[in-house]
Amino acid sequence: MIKLIINDIAIDVKEGSTLLDAATQLGLEIPTMCHNGELEHFTSCMLCLVKDGKTGKLLPSCSAKAFDGMEIITSDDEIREARKIALELLMSEHAGDCEAPCRVACPAFMDIPMMNRLIVAGQFQQALEVVMKDIALPAVLGRICPAPCEGACKRKPIDQAVSICLLKRFTADQANTYPAISNSIPSGHKVAIIGAGPAGLAAAFYLQTNGIQALVFESNPLPGGAMRYAIVNAELDKTVLDHEIDHIRSTGVQFNPDTKIDASAFTTIRNEYDAVVVATGNYSKSMDDWGMENNGKQIVVNKNTYQTSLDKVFAIGNANRSMQLAIRSAAQGKDVAISIKQMLTGKPVKGEERRFNSTLGKLMTEEHSEYMKEGSKDERQAPAGFSDKGFDAHMAQKEAARCLHCDCRKPNDCKLRLYSEQYDVSKKRFAYTGRKPVKKIFQQDVIVYEPGKCIKCGICVRLTAKHQEKFGFTFIGRGFDVEIGVPFSQDLDVALGKTALLVADACPTGALCRLD
Amino acid sequence: MQHTIQHIINEKGTSKDAVIPILQAIQKYFNYLPEEALEIVCAHTKITPAEIVGVASFYSQFRFKPAGKHLVKVCVGTACHVKGADLVFDSLKRNLKLDADHDTDAEGIFTLEKVSCLGCCSLAPAVQIDNVTYGHVTPATSITILQDFTQRQTKGKEKIVVVGGEDVSQGEIRIGLGSCCVASGSEEIRLAVEDTIQNDSLKLNVKHVGCVGMCHQVPLIEVVEPNKPAKLYAKVKPGDVKQIVEKHFKPKGFFRKLKISFESMVENIQHDGRWDGVEKYSIDYREKHVAAFLGDQIPIATEHRGVINPSDMDEYLLRGGFTGLRNALKLKPEDIVESVISSGIRGRGGAGFPTGQKWKTVAAQQTTPKYVICNGDEGDPGAFMDRMLLESYPLRIIEGMLIAAYAVGATHGYFYIRAEYPLAVLRIREALATCLNKGYLGKNILNSGFDFEIRIKEGAGAFVCGEETALIASIEGKRGFPVLRPPFPAVKGLWEKPTLINNTETLAQIPWILTNGHAKFSIIGTTGSKGTKVFALAGKINRGGLIEVPMGISMRRIVEDIGGGVQDGKKLKAVQIGGPSGGCIPHFLADKPIDFESLDEVGAMMGSGGLVVLDETDCMVDIARYFLSFTQNESCGKCTFCRTGTRRMLDIMNKLCEGKAKESDLTELETLAGWTKKGSLCGLGKTAPNPILSTLRFFREEYEAHINGKCPTGKCKALVKYSVDDKCIGCTICAQQCPVDAIPFSPHKKHEIDTALCTKCDICRQACPVDAIRVG
Repeated sequence: MIKLIINDIAIDVKEGSTLLDAATQLGLEIPTMCHNGELEHFTSCMLCLVKDGKTGKLLPSCSAKAFDGMEIITSDDEIREARKIALELLMSEHAGDCEAPCRVACPAFMDIPMMNRLIVAGQFQQALEVVMKDIALPAVLGRICPAPCEGACKRKPIDQAVSICLLKRFTADQANTYPAISNSIPSGHKVAIIGAGPAGLAAAFYLQTNGIQALVFESNPLPGGAMRYAIVNAELDKTVLDHEIDHIRSTGVQFNPDTKIDASAFTTIRNEYDAVVVATGNYSKSMDDWGMENNGKQIVVNKNTYQTSLDKVFAIGNANRSMQLAIRSAAQGKDVAISIKQMLTGKPVKGEERRFNSTLGKLMTEEHSEYMKEGSKDERQAPAGFSDKGFDAHMAQKEAARCLHCDCRKPNDCKLRLYSEQYDVSKKRFAYTGRKPVKKIFQQDVIVYEPGKCIKCGICVRLTAKHQEKFGFTFIGRGFDVEIGVPFSQDLDVALGKTALLVADACPTGALCRLD
Repeated sequence: MQHTIQHIINEKGTSKDAVIPILQAIQKYFNYLPEEALEIVCAHTKITPAEIVGVASFYSQFRFKPAGKHLVKVCVGTACHVKGADLVFDSLKRNLKLDADHDTDAEGIFTLEKVSCLGCCSLAPAVQIDNVTYGHVTPATSITILQDFTQRQTKGKEKIVVVGGEDVSQGEIRIGLGSCCVASGSEEIRLAVEDTIQNDSLKLNVKHVGCVGMCHQVPLIEVVEPNKPAKLYAKVKPGDVKQIVEKHFKPKGFFRKLKISFESMVENIQHDGRWDGVEKYSIDYREKHVAAFLGDQIPIATEHRGVINPSDMDEYLLRGGFTGLRNALKLKPEDIVESVISSGIRGRGGAGFPTGQKWKTVAAQQTTPKYVICNGDEGDPGAFMDRMLLESYPLRIIEGMLIAAYAVGATHGYFYIRAEYPLAVLRIREALATCLNKGYLGKNILNSGFDFEIRIKEGAGAFVCGEETALIASIEGKRGFPVLRPPFPAVKGLWEKPTLINNTETLAQIPWILTNGHAKFSIIGTTGSKGTKVFALAGKINRGGLIEVPMGISMRRIVEDIGGGVQDGKKLKAVQIGGPSGGCIPHFLADKPIDFESLDEVGAMMGSGGLVVLDETDCMVDIARYFLSFTQNESCGKCTFCRTGTRRMLDIMNKLCEGKAKESDLTELETLAGWTKKGSLCGLGKTAPNPILSTLRFFREEYEAHINGKCPTGKCKALVKYSVDDKCIGCTICAQQCPVDAIPFSPHKKHEIDTALCTKCDICRQACPVDAIRVG
C-alpha cells in the first residue's frame, strides 16, 4: 500500500494507483476529458492537473502515479486557473454551436430545432409542448412576431431561413387542446400582476403553472393589452387572442378587469401579495409616486431578475424599456416567474440562468454544403395567401425538414460545456485566428462526426484499436493541425463496423454523436 | 507494386516496429507514399491501417503526393533565418511560379520545401537541391542556382579517379569531409586533387578527415610533406588545387615535369586566375586566426579533429582509440559508474541531468534485457554538433556506447539518428561493420565475455523525438508522442525495459574520461558543470564553426576571441543559446560564464548547444517569433497547452510582427507562456516559451515598439516600406533586378518604388551600388 496525503487527508492506495484513482477513492471530483476507465491513460486534455504540495509542480493526475509521502492538492486558485486556461485554449479551436443560433436569437430562448424535429416526426402536440415551455401565446406570436430567430438561421445565407415563426403558429393552430402544463403543486403563494399585455399574461401563465396563484389587474375591460388595442384585426384575428387568453385563464389565473391601480392601490397590493409584477406597459408620470427607482421614462430593474428598487416588486415589458417586441415582453414574463419562484422558495434570486454557450459565428461558403447534409433541399414553403394563412401539416413537415440541426447533439452530456461553465470560461479569449471549416461526416443513421468539435483526446482512436476495427480511427497529421480521421479515406460505415455507438457515447464532446 | 512492396517487407520485417523503415523504403522507391502501397503493407504485416497512417502522417519526412524530380530544400535554420532565408524562399517560390497550394512547379521538376536545418550554418543562407548544396544564396542569386543545377544535370557524371599504389608515398593531402565541407564543394576538390595526382603521377595519400570545426573557411585542404609542418589552405576552389599540389610536390620524371610545366603555362595564359585564392588563404597568412580559433578550445569529444579519418579503425587505435573501453573492461561495472559520477559529467542534450546518476539507475535495475540508446536526433535549427560528431568520430561514439553498456549491463544498443543526416548514418553503418569485424561488437567483445550489438534507427523528421520517451515510441514504430515521466526510461523504457539514453556528445566524451581518468575531466569547467561543451557557432560572426570549449568560458571570449568578433564590424546585440528551448544572452551579460547554472539564471538553457550571434540589425521579436513558429510546428499535438498554447502564442507574435498587437496582447502572451511552461506534458512544450520569456525580459522595449507599429531594426516586413533616397544615381540596376516590376525603368533619374507592388524581397537594396535604398 502507498500512503499519501490528499487535501490534508491521509489515504492508503494500491501500488500502481494514479493520483486520480486516489482522489476518486476519497470521493473527490477531478475534471477529466481524455480519461476513459476502459483505456490506458493518454494525458492529453490536462484538465486533471493537481499540485504536488512539496514541489509546487502541476501533475496530470490521470497518469501520475501515487508515491509514498506525496502531499497532493486537488484544487486551489492556481489549479483552477490552469484548468480554465486549458479549457479556454480548447474552446479557442472549438467550432460548433452548443445551442442553435435561432434559439439564442429568440428572446424567449425557445428550443426551435427541437420543435422542428418533432414536427418532422409528426409529433405535433409534443412540438407545441416544446414551444409552450417558453412561449405562453404561441398562436398570437406565431402571427405577430417579427421573428428575430429567422434572422439568425444558418440556412438564411444558404438559400432562405427556415420559416420558424409559421411553424410555431402551426403547432398552436393544429392543436385542439393546449397541452396541460403544470410543473408543481400549489405553493400557497400569490402574486399580483399589474397589466394583462404579453408580459403580464406570460408572467401569469408561468407563475400559475409553477404552483403560484397569479392575479392580474387590468385597467381595460378585456385582457390582451397592446395585442388587443394596438394591433388591427387584419394582423391578428382577436378570436385567436381570446382563445389563448382562455387557455391561460383555464390554468387558474384570475383576472380583475377595469381596475386602475394608483399609488395607494399599489401599496395595498404590495402588502397583500407575496410579490408584485409591474407589467403596465409604457411608464407614465402617474407612477412616479409608486416609489420605484426610475429615470422618468422607465423603471430601473436588474437586467437578469427584473427586480426593482422596491422589495418584492418586479417590472417587465415596456415598463422597464419602451418599444419592446411582444416576444421580448412575453419572454420577460416567463423569466420573471423564475425570479419570483426563486425568491419565494428562499433561493438566491438570479433569474433564468443560461448555460455556457459556444457559438460558431457566420458560416463560410465552403461550409454551406456541410450544413446542407442535415436539411432537405426544398425551398422555403410559403402558404397560399401568406399573411392570413398558416401551414397545413404536410407543408409544416416539409418546411421543418429544412432545419439544419445547428444545435449540438450533446447539449447536456458534453464535458467541454460542463467544465467551461464550472470554470467560467471565455470562449473568445484566445480565439485570435479564424477557425477551421466545419465538416460533418455521417455514418448512415447511426452517428455523425464533426472534427471541429474534437479535442484530440484520442479516446475513439484507442477504443477502435482496442476493439480491433480493421480501419477504425487514427491520428492524422500532428501538432495544431492534427485531426482524427479514418485511414485510407474509408467511409465511417466501413471504419466503425462494430464500435460506432461505443465511440459516440465515449466521446467527451459533441464531436461524435448518435443521430437522434 | 505488389512485388516491390513485398521485397521491402522481406527486407525490413513484418513486426510493428518495422513501420518507419518500411515507409522510408517505399518513399525512397516511389518518391512519395502511394496509398495502395500502404494498403499492401497492412495486408502482409502486423501493421494496421490506423497505425501506418498515424505514423506516416506524423513524421514530416513522408509525402503523400508525388514530388518533383528534384527537391529544393531551403534551410530555415536559425543562422539562415537571420541571414534572410525567408527572402530566399520567397524568391525561389516566385521563380518556380508556386502558389499557396502547390509546392511543385508545373513541369514537375522542382519541389520546394523548407527544412529546419541543413547543418551548414556557416554557409547561411543555404539551399540544397538533391545532393548539391549552395551557400550564401541571396534572393537575386536564387534563380542562378536553379540554372546551375539544371546545367549540372545535363553535364553528366564526373569521372572517378583511382589513386594510390605500391610506391612509397611522397606525402599526404587531407580533405575535410564533414557536411559543411561537402556542402561547400569538397567533393569537387577531392576530384581535382585526384585528377592532379593522376596527371602528375604523384604518389600521395589522399585522406578524408572529419570536421575540423572551421566551417567558416570551408572547403579546407591540408598538405602534409614529410618532416615539414602541415600547411592548411582555406576556401579552396577546384581551380586552385593543381597549383597547391604542385607547389608542394614535384611530378616524377623529367619529361613529364616539362610537359606539365608547359601545360600549366598554357593554362595560366588561358585563364587569368593564376594563384587566385591560394596565397590569399594559405596558412601563413591565416596562421594567427587559426591559432585564435583553436586557442581557447579543448578537444575531448572532438579529439584529433581534422587529423583522423572517421572510418579508419587502425588510425583510431593508433591514436589511443578503445583504450577507454579496454580500461573499462578491466573494471567492475559499478566502478565505471562511480568514475563517471566522479567526473561530474552532465548530459549534453539539454537539461544537463548528471550522466553517472542515470547510469546508476539503469545499472540497478533487475529486469533484462537492457538497452542503450545514442540520441542523435539533433533537431535544433542552428545546431550541428551531433551530426559532426557522428560523421567525424563514429568509432569514439561506439566506444562510448560500449562502455556505457558494459557499465549498466545492457546487451542491445540503438543509434537513433535524424533523417536529415544521411552522411552520419553512412559513417556509423561503416563503423559498426568495422567494429563487428574486429571484435569490438557482437559476442565476447575483446574476450571479456561481454556481448553487445548495435542497430541504427533513422528518424523521420520530428523534433519532438529528441525527447526520450518520444524517441522510444519512434523506435517502437509509433507516433512520437511523449509520455509522462516517471516512470523514467532508465526504469521502464524501450519495450518497457530499462533503457539508458544518452546524447551523442555525452557518449563521445565517455572514452576520454575512461582513458584519462575522471579527475582530469573534472578539473575542467566550473563547480556545477564539468568538462567541455561542443557548440555550433553561427550567425553574425566572423569565424563560425564547431568549437569545443571548457564549461564556464564567457560568451565574450567565444564571440571575440574564438569567433573573431561580430561580422561587418557591427555591434553585438545578443547570443541566442539553446535554440527553440533556450534564450538570449544580451550583450550586457556577455561576461557571464556559460554553464548550466548561469544559463538557467538568465532564463536560457544549454539546449543542444547552438550559439547564434545576433547583431544590432536583428529584431528580437522576430527571433522569438521564429523559434516559436519552429516549436509550434514541431509540437506533437498531444497535450492542450503545447498544441494550442504554442499556437495562440504564435498568433500573438504574428500580430506583433504585423504591428496589429495591443498592450493587452503582451499580457496574454506572458500568461500563455507561463501556463504552457507549467502545464505541458514534455520538455518541448515546457521550454517552448523560453525564447519569448527571455526576449521579453531583456528586450521588452522592442515588443513595445512593435505595439506602436514600429520594428526598430526594420526586419518585420509588414512594418517597413522600401524607398529610394537622394543618393540614387539613376543607374537602373534596381529596376532591372526587381522581380515584380515595382521600380519603373527611368535612367538618370531618381528611381521610385511602387509600394503597392513591392514584395519587400530586398533584391534592390542588395543590388544598389550606392546604398540608396531605404528600409523603414
